[in-house]
Amino acid sequence: MFDEIDHIKNEFEKDLTSINSKEALEKLRVKYLGRKGFISAAFGLMSRLAAEQRPQFGQQLNILKKEIEAKHQTLLQSFSAQKSPKKYLDLTLSGRRNFVGHKHPLIAMADEIKEIFISLGFVVEDGPEIETDFYNFEALNLPKSHPARDMQDTLYITEDILLRTHTSPVQIRVMQKQKPPIRMIAPGRVYRRDTPDASHSPFFHQVEGLVVGEDISFADLKGVIQAFARRLFGPQVKVRFRPSFFPFTEPSAEYDFSCTFCGGKGCRVCKNTGWLEISGAGMVHPNVFYAAGVDPEKYSGYAFGMGIDRIAMLKYDINDIRLFFENDLRFLSQF
Amino acid sequence: MKITYKWLKDYIDFKESPQELADKLTEAGFEVEELIPTVRPFSGVVVGRVKKVEKHPGADKLSICEVSDGSTSYQVICGAPNVAAGQTVPFAQIGASLPNGFKIKKAKIRGVASFGMICSKEELGLENASDGIWAFEEAYIPGTDVYEILRIRQDYIYDFFITANRPDCLSLIGFAREVSAITGRPFRFPEAHIQEEAQNPIEEQITVSIEDRDGCPRYAARVIKGVKIQESPQWMRQRLQAVGIRPINNIVDITNYVLMELGHPLHAFDLARLKGPAIRVRASKPAEKFITLDDKERLLPENTVMICDSERAVAIGGIMGGQNSEVSLSTVDVLLESAYFKPTRIAFSSKRLGLSSEASQRFERGTDPNGVIRAINRAASLIARIAGGRIAKGIYDVYPKAIESVQIPLHPGKINRLLGTAFSARMITEKLQSLQLKVDNGSVTVPTFRVDLTQEVDLAEEVARLVNYSNLPAKTVTEIQYEHPQPETERRTVFLRKNMLELGLQEALTASMLKKSEAEAFADNDVVEILNPISDDMTSMRPSLLPGLLKAISHNINRNMPDVRLFELGRIFRKAGKPQQLPDQPYRVAAVISGRRFPESWNNENLSVDFYDIKGYLENFISKIFLDKSHFILYDKARYLTGNETVALIAGRDEIIGLCGRIETHICRLFSIEQAVYAFELDVEKLARYFDYNRTYRPIARYPYSQRDMAVVFDEDVLAGAVLEHIKKTAGPLLRDVFIFDIYRGKKLAAGKKSLAIKMRFQSLERTLNDKEVDKLFRKIIKSTCTRFGASLRN
Repeated sequence: MFDEIDHIKNEFEKDLTSINSKEALEKLRVKYLGRKGFISAAFGLMSRLAAEQRPQFGQQLNILKKEIEAKHQTLLQSFSAQKSPKKYLDLTLSGRRNFVGHKHPLIAMADEIKEIFISLGFVVEDGPEIETDFYNFEALNLPKSHPARDMQDTLYITEDILLRTHTSPVQIRVMQKQKPPIRMIAPGRVYRRDTPDASHSPFFHQVEGLVVGEDISFADLKGVIQAFARRLFGPQVKVRFRPSFFPFTEPSAEYDFSCTFCGGKGCRVCKNTGWLEISGAGMVHPNVFYAAGVDPEKYSGYAFGMGIDRIAMLKYDINDIRLFFENDLRFLSQF
Repeated sequence: MKITYKWLKDYIDFKESPQELADKLTEAGFEVEELIPTVRPFSGVVVGRVKKVEKHPGADKLSICEVSDGSTSYQVICGAPNVAAGQTVPFAQIGASLPNGFKIKKAKIRGVASFGMICSKEELGLENASDGIWAFEEAYIPGTDVYEILRIRQDYIYDFFITANRPDCLSLIGFAREVSAITGRPFRFPEAHIQEEAQNPIEEQITVSIEDRDGCPRYAARVIKGVKIQESPQWMRQRLQAVGIRPINNIVDITNYVLMELGHPLHAFDLARLKGPAIRVRASKPAEKFITLDDKERLLPENTVMICDSERAVAIGGIMGGQNSEVSLSTVDVLLESAYFKPTRIAFSSKRLGLSSEASQRFERGTDPNGVIRAINRAASLIARIAGGRIAKGIYDVYPKAIESVQIPLHPGKINRLLGTAFSARMITEKLQSLQLKVDNGSVTVPTFRVDLTQEVDLAEEVARLVNYSNLPAKTVTEIQYEHPQPETERRTVFLRKNMLELGLQEALTASMLKKSEAEAFADNDVVEILNPISDDMTSMRPSLLPGLLKAISHNINRNMPDVRLFELGRIFRKAGKPQQLPDQPYRVAAVISGRRFPESWNNENLSVDFYDIKGYLENFISKIFLDKSHFILYDKARYLTGNETVALIAGRDEIIGLCGRIETHICRLFSIEQAVYAFELDVEKLARYFDYNRTYRPIARYPYSQRDMAVVFDEDVLAGAVLEHIKKTAGPLLRDVFIFDIYRGKKLAAGKKSLAIKMRFQSLERTLNDKEVDKLFRKIIKSTCTRFGASLRN
């Protein structure tokens, strides 16, 4: 039986010498490798062997089959090369592409901000964009007469329901559902009654931050914002805190980053001040704690906010906020 | 709020340079928006004397002047009508450089040579617009450098952003107090020397009564007789102009000057025009009208504080005076008002009237009820000094219930805990005292001008800002103080976005507000409308992400980018059951495709997208988010989707997760799109119910599969989905995969028939299937399929 393998091999080598065309090669293939060819027939004989001999036989036959296949392939290629004109590949032609997608730049920016805060132990919360007066104003120590509640600035659905003007309502919602310690950020869309122009959009995006616990101090706030600034813009960035006023924090601060374009020397982007105004922050006002059902005698906390659109505009030197919402593919594909 | 450097020095001596002062005040919470010198540098301008003026022969409006710089005379062409021989003027010589960067060169104007220019104040950067050249009033010596003359007068204008909590700093004295607290130097109030008449006390001349005690807790008046109305002195006009107030006449200017000095608004009435003469303060009546001193008739909001005489209203309290009683050139006797109005009442009326003034801005934020007398005395003393006149004896001061100082308990420990500091009690006390706060026995008395200080946290901020925020400690973030899992909302948003991006779709963010017609095309009767929209284009909250995405497609098509693949993940809005409830605001994820199937290129076929492209995106998406038990049904109930090219994605027990199909042509037209658009939109909350984050691994079959193909001829209306479902059901668990790999319609088949080529793969997890059992199963499937659908095997 094993002779049969040698026999096929000899026969094949003999036949090989007379192959001179593609057609002859094909005949050779059918003779040996075809469905009814020699190799196939030899496999058929296997059942006559004793069981213990079969693996060895199969193995040898397979080796032969591979040899024949390889030889056939080599010859086939040499015939093809001879017969057809040489195929010329212009490798400078473009590859076969498909459409690819990118994150929206504001989402990419928000994700970058989120990742930094997540690494600092924050969780990412979410809240409704249409809010009640209570969550957007009242609970944030913005009494009815506050200028920010003017019809001029806020878009209303009913007298008591409005489009949130900041992400701060999420602070109240989280404090209501969860006992301190709290360590959260809340990115999202906010609305103002602004006519669109290069620096105003009736909707834009903010990230809110809130940390509440025992003995949380202004020093913690400064530390977190500094860590954030350095992670976002690099270790050389300086942070400046200035006193300011927000009804929902006391003490309140505005914080600036040293200009990332000129390093603080003064340039067009920072209007020669050396500083980029980022946003506001402060220690949570006791009235806000009362409204949210947190005991200000036991807990303290800080809150901060920042404009995602604003930071993205600074980072990418974009001078028209409307570009973000036109969804022009030439713009979107750059991020 | 504008102040000037030199004016501030009237009230406090400090050594800081203009820039140092700006920096220190910024650090203390007063952001300097602008710091401008009143005299900007220029050179080459000297005092010149105009010796001769003649008409230019070639131009009516030009003159040929001879100007001397003291040693030489020059020929200068001048276009100003007010130029005259004998004047001394600023003379910009050849080579001079003006504040706006303009350089003076020798010029020929209408054929006549000109050697320099006579300057106006505008050209020297001293005012915004000048009528003509500047003829000096002072007798300067020709040849003197004009910049050197002006530099002595150099001042700096600061424009501050004053936060809403600090109305006390809408005044120079407010800044003097702050600078005093920062530098430790004392400040002083402006002088008020009052020389009253000996006879005829004010009570015998007028009466004052307050009916509206809520709106006007205090009203004080003085009478000054025999004033001479004229232009106020130059120093006063200059200062007012520098801080943005237009000079009117000496009386009005003095009230404005004191307003700037002390932050307390005053009003001067022409006493002769007050009936009574009496002052009566009352709330406005319904539908009451009043003509303010800007000659506008205004409909008064109800409950507006009105100042009246014995017969009629003469001023809107705290907002604006009336035309019927204002000081004019014929005024001789003046009634001076210094009152305190309740902030919320002024804010309300000012907003409703759409009328904001220097006075209302201060009253609505809070003035000092106990600063009333200082202000009226300062103004009266200035009037007597500048406008002449005799101050009547006494002040008519109606102040029924004194407004007391606020007391705040002080715990240095609490302040330190809040700031993360270790300040001594003494240091904290000193900082507070430097702001004119009284500290004793753990209690702080806040003077009434500081309306912002009501709680201990407010004191903490005062200490912090005087220490300077930059000097407060910062704690390095060292530990994660607690661990909460990321909320589900965030987790699924990240998950869905990642998967949409991996499909090759570009993310878009579109407007939440739409035009009414745009919104209504995608919703039934539950569109959320905005009460006070910005414009007609933004009246309605989006009921779907599709209109925004269609706008984006339209934008790109209009810019010759017709091949668009976009997705968005965001909230949509629809009315809740009850109007007092918050609207529903579920998240949706939507995709739109339009244009070519592949990017335009030599090696891509030029085909347009069709229904199967969008369905393919959706099927890939579903497979990526492991939504196992879902299927599609035909759906023709969405008005904005073409009925015969739309399916609904179903999961669970017949729950519609979203729709997938072709946007109706008329909807596309609404967005000026002429090419076909396909879209899907899914409800994220519903979708999320079928995610399984806790999935476990499913074993992979280790044995080969057997494959069988069949071509079956069906009636055209038999649905492929139904056929495949039937095969799956018939085959049972051994069928691993079944799909259609070819469809044939045409000559070889009868009309109304189609042939589906179906590939089936059979596989077991436990063993290799033998041909016999596969064949048996295959035959069963063929037979059953043919029977079920009245179909036949194709030969």
